[in-house]
Amino acid sequence: MNGGIPYAEALAAWRAKIPAPAQPLALSAAELLERFHPDRQPGAMVPLCVGASAGLPCRVELAALLQSDSLIEDVDIAGASMLNADVLVIGGGGAGCVAALTAARTGARVILATKLRLGDSNTVMAEGGIQAAVGPEDSLQRHFEDTLRAGHFTADKALVAALVSDGPGVIRWLIQEGMGFDLAEGSGRMGGTLLRKKPGGATAARLLSYRDFTGLEMMRALREAVLLQPGITVLDRHPALELLTDDRGRCAGAALHDLAQGRTVLACAGATVLATGGAGRLHIAGFPTSNHYGATADGLVLAYRLGAALREVDSFQYHPTGIAWPPHMEGQLVSEAARASGAALVNGLGERFVDELNTRDIVAAAILREIAEGRGILRDGRAGVFLDTPGLEQTKPGILGKSLVTLTHLARRGGFDAADEPFLIRPTLHYQNGGVAIDHDGWSGVPGLLCAGEVTGGLHGRNRMMGNALLELVAFGRRAGSAAAADARAERPRNIGLAHLADWRRALIAQGLPLTRKAPLVFPPYGNFDMATERGRAA
Amino acid sequence: MKVLTDERRCVGADLAAWVALGGGEGLERALADPAGIIPAIEAAGLRGLGGAGFPTHRKWAAVAAQPGPGKWVICNGNEDEPGTFKDRFLLSRTPHQVIEGALVAALAVGAATVALYVNPREEAAVRVLREAVAQWEAHPLLAQLSEAIGENLRLLVVTGSGLYVGGEETAAVASVMGGFPFPTLKPPYPAERGVNGAPTLVNNVETLAHAGQILRGGPEWYRGLGLGGAPGTKLFSLSGDVLRPGLHELPMGTSLRSLVFEHGEGMLGGKAFKAVFTGGPSNTLLTADDLDAPLDFDSLRARGSRLGTGAMIVVGEGTSILRKTAEYVGFFAANSCGQCPPCKIGTHQVSRILERIEAGAGRPGDLQALENLAELLPGSGRCGLVDGAATVLASSLKTFGGEYERALRRR
Amino acid sequence: MTESGTEAGLKVSLVFDGHPILAEAGASLLQAWGAAGLPLTENIGCMGQGVCGACRVLVRRQGERLAGTALACETQVEEGMQISFIDHFPAHRSHTYDLRTLTDSWTALEQIDTVFPEAKNCRHCDGCDRACPKGIEVQRMVNLAAAGQAFDAAALFDHCVMCNLCVAACPEHIDPAHLGQFVRRMSASLTLRPADLITRLREIDQGGQPVDFDAPGANPPVRP
Repeated sequence: MNGGIPYAEALAAWRAKIPAPAQPLALSAAELLERFHPDRQPGAMVPLCVGASAGLPCRVELAALLQSDSLIEDVDIAGASMLNADVLVIGGGGAGCVAALTAARTGARVILATKLRLGDSNTVMAEGGIQAAVGPEDSLQRHFEDTLRAGHFTADKALVAALVSDGPGVIRWLIQEGMGFDLAEGSGRMGGTLLRKKPGGATAARLLSYRDFTGLEMMRALREAVLLQPGITVLDRHPALELLTDDRGRCAGAALHDLAQGRTVLACAGATVLATGGAGRLHIAGFPTSNHYGATADGLVLAYRLGAALREVDSFQYHPTGIAWPPHMEGQLVSEAARASGAALVNGLGERFVDELNTRDIVAAAILREIAEGRGILRDGRAGVFLDTPGLEQTKPGILGKSLVTLTHLARRGGFDAADEPFLIRPTLHYQNGGVAIDHDGWSGVPGLLCAGEVTGGLHGRNRMMGNALLELVAFGRRAGSAAAADARAERPRNIGLAHLADWRRALIAQGLPLTRKAPLVFPPYGNFDMATERGRAA
Repeated sequence: MKVLTDERRCVGADLAAWVALGGGEGLERALADPAGIIPAIEAAGLRGLGGAGFPTHRKWAAVAAQPGPGKWVICNGNEDEPGTFKDRFLLSRTPHQVIEGALVAALAVGAATVALYVNPREEAAVRVLREAVAQWEAHPLLAQLSEAIGENLRLLVVTGSGLYVGGEETAAVASVMGGFPFPTLKPPYPAERGVNGAPTLVNNVETLAHAGQILRGGPEWYRGLGLGGAPGTKLFSLSGDVLRPGLHELPMGTSLRSLVFEHGEGMLGGKAFKAVFTGGPSNTLLTADDLDAPLDFDSLRARGSRLGTGAMIVVGEGTSILRKTAEYVGFFAANSCGQCPPCKIGTHQVSRILERIEAGAGRPGDLQALENLAELLPGSGRCGLVDGAATVLASSLKTFGGEYERALRRR
Repeated sequence: MTESGTEAGLKVSLVFDGHPILAEAGASLLQAWGAAGLPLTENIGCMGQGVCGACRVLVRRQGERLAGTALACETQVEEGMQISFIDHFPAHRSHTYDLRTLTDSWTALEQIDTVFPEAKNCRHCDGCDRACPKGIEVQRMVNLAAAGQAFDAAALFDHCVMCNLCVAACPEHIDPAHLGQFVRRMSASLTLRPADLITRLREIDQGGQPVDFDAPGANPPVRP
């Protein structure tokens, strides 16, 4: 970092130029990404050397977890108490809840196991909204093309087609579950039109929302629906340590760790849906994260060890506007709704430097460039750029109080007024673009194992659009839940155990990898709880 | 010597029978010298027997000093706490004794309305009391009393909510006014602002019963009933692991040993004595070290505990302090009125932790969490409910922590 | 104040679940707990956004008599604080309904009363309002819902983060958090019928929204 501009000086520069005129990028998008995106930095990626995706480039921090040994052995599951279900859902966020509801409503007996508490997830934190092509000028095809383009044409077209085609139906389903959506100004509840915003990188206004806490509104409805749905057993504080297999290599459930009682529980199921979310809490490349506490890539580790293929695990999304100051809120997200509503990004010279509505990877790289080239703003040792909320309030009076409520609260928690003072922001680790490769029903390729939500790859290519994550988790939660229920009743697992681990260990040894590193991580290091140590004590 | 619970005086609602036994004498003496009532109560050393032990004459003097008219007396018979069963006995078996005491109090403080505030779940007491009140209404003493006070005396039977919290004095006031028994912050005390904003004397049933007897027999006689300087007698509600549980009227200052081993006829099945939860049960536990403690307000306070309502729940070897504590904290949690979240949520939280330890599902940090709550919670309510719960918790942790640790090891 | 008051790393001392902690000034309660090396495996979720309601605490500040409820991620450390984590209090699960069978809006009031019969017993103790870390008028919502004023009740629960503190606080077992969700969910599912969405769904049903994989926009631009 080449220093930066002290906060007071930057504040004066911003005031002098407000509102700063738009300014296009001087670099080509390709060059900007190449030079400034964290994924492109030297040493960031290594090829995987064991497993179904050997040879695939992978973020180095993640590769270490993927190519590690299990936390448990066969002796650990002897005498463990056993639960049985048709479908086991691992993960209590949006995708897990949708999958569990869908499966249970077809008559399947479902166990939903979650590491924290039902609903604690990235879903609840999503602010911006959910994409669905409902506008008269919009179409499924435009949503399809926008998503592919934003992902640099690396996404799986069949998955994207499924995603966008489900969009309007997903919104109807969510309304049926009791989720509310904002309506256009002056619109009635019956026969009105939905409020639509234009997400970064889109060609049409397609982002539907509930205020600026869409994910919270969604999660509240889903959580309540799960709690009330007969046929679902919810196990809070039961992280999955390892998937179970039957004698033919089919996934047969999971070994769970009951945190309250400190013991192993086996959840055996005809089909298992992994909905464990992302990896922000790995703090890849040292970045702060907007993710919830549980986002430690557990599902990727478990699925990969059982033989599932991965894709684009070298691609992460850095949300452009994470909080850089104050330190106690570092990494928390300032919703993209701010930029979508017209808030500008301003550097230490009071100048704009990028089209704020460009895709997230471009905007994030542009901010990192400002900081790297000395035009960032320094405050108490933290560097960032301004998100000009006062400028937005000037152009659209009342907008902060009315539709950017969470953002206004956020500033207040940081000790300032968003209408007077701009946010100091810096990119924050936000989303895992890749993940477990799946088909249009969520099948992972391993019999008995499905995936839904952020743990999957292929839907977003190398960059996810705002609003496609909430859509994905409902669309593929429903697909996976229904496929799992249908399949579970056809197939009953037998001779359940950890047969896959022996081969896995042989492969690690063959590559000279240590068996001493254990995964999944379950909790980040600052959680002061090491599952391997805990297991050691229990044994 | 039995004063309140003498079988001969247990004549029920029959006022004529009560008068034939010398009933009404206390009130007559009071009427003869109204100014002498409060000094007599003071000389007798009577204190509030609903649990607080506040000197009765001071409360009376405070209400008497307030300007009338419109003052109230509430005879508090809400009695709902686990292990206490004395007021229901007095109200149903010897109601006139209680009424007479309440009338003496009304005269002393200049109140023309006396509310006999009863727990509606004590159906027998309510029925007998209604009958008893009807008989007083025709009695000439009542007319004399009205004349002395200068207002027409009204004697009301008020059934409250039956909720435990309704026994707290400000809650009793709210309940008598027809509202939900929410305790309020003090000051103002009911003596300043009570029913309908008027000065109100709130006294426990047993306290008022003693007051009538003090006027009848005189303060010196009364003081002489107690042991070791403590005045009068006390109703002890004895329960738990003793051979003969029940209501025992004994001299104030009787030793715990005497109560348990003589009057209670010893421990059930000869088990070793472990502890006593005093009523309650919201106080520091008494243990074997306290067996020779005189059961009176000052002696128990000096030992860091309280006499409370006089309920003595005896626990022997074989009975779990942890389970008892869980039961009582659970009672407080269920009965917290809801106004103060730290009380409602805090007692609930304590209750949840106790229940999981009890169920063999305790967690490593649970003891520390309980100790923290026992320190954090006191003072967090408008009334003393949460303080009582915290006290009994802290005491049981301190004295019987080993039982908690054993249950945690069973995990 | 500690004597290191002039240094940059200002410290404050507090007691958290029985653990004496020396914390950085400006840290949240949750950060202070973690920084003290104590295990964080529950009562944690969004870590500061204040939307998940997982980190419920009772807090008593130095010199204050009454403790209060708060979210640990949103509350900053203060000298002399005493703090206890509060468990998640699940409701008794007795308030069951099936939104999908609830299709007749004429019966909305009856449904509220059938599913949440306790709502009409509100004793107006204000405990739920005092317990809510988001300042929601919980009691008013309960009263409005009991009177069948579903939209008004639903609007009051806009900012609910499902911490369930009101569930723990309510002496009548009304389960306000769940009642709030019930009226919100019922309002949406019974009355939200956007015409643009319905139009698009019809088009899709009639095959009018095909997705073409080979369209020029669905493939990388061909470089000349």
